[in-house]
Amino acid sequence: MKKISSNRKKNHLALAIALLLTASLATAADVNFSGFLSVGGGMVDDEDAVGYGGYDEDDLTFDRNLLGLQVTGQVNEKVTATAQLIARSNNDYQVDAEWAYLSWQANDSIKVRAGRLRTPFYMYSDFLDVGYSYTWITPPQEVYYLPFNNVDGVDIYLTGTVGIFDTSLQAYFGSFTDELTFSGAIADAETRNQMGLSGTIGKDWWTLRAAYHQADLTVDVTGSPLSATTTIGSFANTLRALGFGNNADRLLVEEDDVTFTEVGLNIDTGRFVAAAEHVEFDPGDALLSKNIREYVMAGVRAGDWLFHVTASKAKDEVSHPETGIPVGQALPVVGSTNVLIGTLQAIAQSQVVERDVLTFGTRWDVTTGTAIKFQFDDVDSPDVVLPTGTISGQQKVFSVAVQTVF
Amino acid sequence: MKNVIKSLAAVVALSVSGFAMAEVAVIVHPSAGFNSLTEDDISRIFLGKSKSFPGGGQAVPVNQNEGSATRDKFNEAVCKKNASQYKAYWSQLVFTGKGTPPKDAGDDAAVKAQVAANPNAIGYVDASAVDASVKVVFKLP
Repeated sequence: MKKISSNRKKNHLALAIALLLTASLATAADVNFSGFLSVGGGMVDDEDAVGYGGYDEDDLTFDRNLLGLQVTGQVNEKVTATAQLIARSNNDYQVDAEWAYLSWQANDSIKVRAGRLRTPFYMYSDFLDVGYSYTWITPPQEVYYLPFNNVDGVDIYLTGTVGIFDTSLQAYFGSFTDELTFSGAIADAETRNQMGLSGTIGKDWWTLRAAYHQADLTVDVTGSPLSATTTIGSFANTLRALGFGNNADRLLVEEDDVTFTEVGLNIDTGRFVAAAEHVEFDPGDALLSKNIREYVMAGVRAGDWLFHVTASKAKDEVSHPETGIPVGQALPVVGSTNVLIGTLQAIAQSQVVERDVLTFGTRWDVTTGTAIKFQFDDVDSPDVVLPTGTISGQQKVFSVAVQTVF
Repeated sequence: MKNVIKSLAAVVALSVSGFAMAEVAVIVHPSAGFNSLTEDDISRIFLGKSKSFPGGGQAVPVNQNEGSATRDKFNEAVCKKNASQYKAYWSQLVFTGKGTPPKDAGDDAAVKAQVAANPNAIGYVDASAVDASVKVVFKLP
């Protein structure tokens, strides 16, 4: 089993660099500070049904807060240093450096950056934390679900006019190490040889976007419990002992070649706004499911108000880690191969998300730089059947947020 | 009471017509090698989509301060964004390192002074503030 070193030290290192940068920049001549704040709360309609959007109580709780501070310093005419520090309430307001990079503006159309960058997975990736800059409180989580938002590496960003169109192209290479929650257990995860390309083309009121990424993904899922006495790790060992090593490999997420593709459209005519994105995650050989996600949003502005409606959909395809195990063959000690097949299918099935969400929301621009948003999500997903009973997959969520930039 | 309302209405009517008549002039340094720009050229420079003038030469846009009526009129007419949309547009670029908004230079006099002092600068002022220290390349009715 490949051991993943704890990412904690790395995070502290990034933070230390960012703080050092901040300190040294504070004495430099040309330093810009800017920031953003989001205070958000919400409640669900039915406490006994599935939670959604981080909310599972029918009392209003304000626990989706974040404060971001960005410091940019001009090192010389062509080089700038930027750090973005974010404290989130769901992370005990621990300060994290989500961006910390040096940027070299080679000329008007070429920029090269190195450090910790935001991975350009989605249309709104770059300003995901800056709620003020877009319509929703947060973008639809059916599509915006990837646990990795950042990458440590280098990128090149090209902008230019092609004919009458404004275009941009971003290419990056890097890696990332983090912890994520997998089937209820904390798991170390990392990407290596992560690279991607994203491009936009637009004119006045519309922008089209497409992106492609690939990486060697490792998630240490061995500690995830299958029952009171077994974990995915011990089950994989059982499979190996029984001669099904290929299936054990497919069960674990070890340096699997994964890809992620996105296409998106954004429209803003001033009066009308619209956005749509379709994404697909291909897990390669891993037991993760093939994620197929999309949303369509349309809205209209009326004075300082914007009203919008969004339909989002998650329709994942289950993987088949059981392929190759013969059906109904007796096992040495007890039972038959059907138990192994059933267990593998159940694990694969647990990775599938199927959900339709209809969202109605408003954005009210109270003053320049401050918006108040209300949102109502109507969630429709399959009921969850547990040994202890069935949890309804129908939920309604009300949420509110105040978002500013300064 | 009626009189108060009448005079109020008159004041409002006056200020509204006064506002509607105020022309906004887009200005550059007198030495600039061009005499006019299109609305599209100006919009691209102020939205950070273009960093140079159509004929070449670096363009350094300067804004009036937030809350200025001239700024709001310019942004709505040329950039097609109200004050909030303009702010949201730039926050998408600022917090990603992909752009820096034009500096807020102050009022008519301050913008005019900056443009008059910098051959690369482009700004906008109320047309009544224009004098020989700057060159008008576009006018908003």
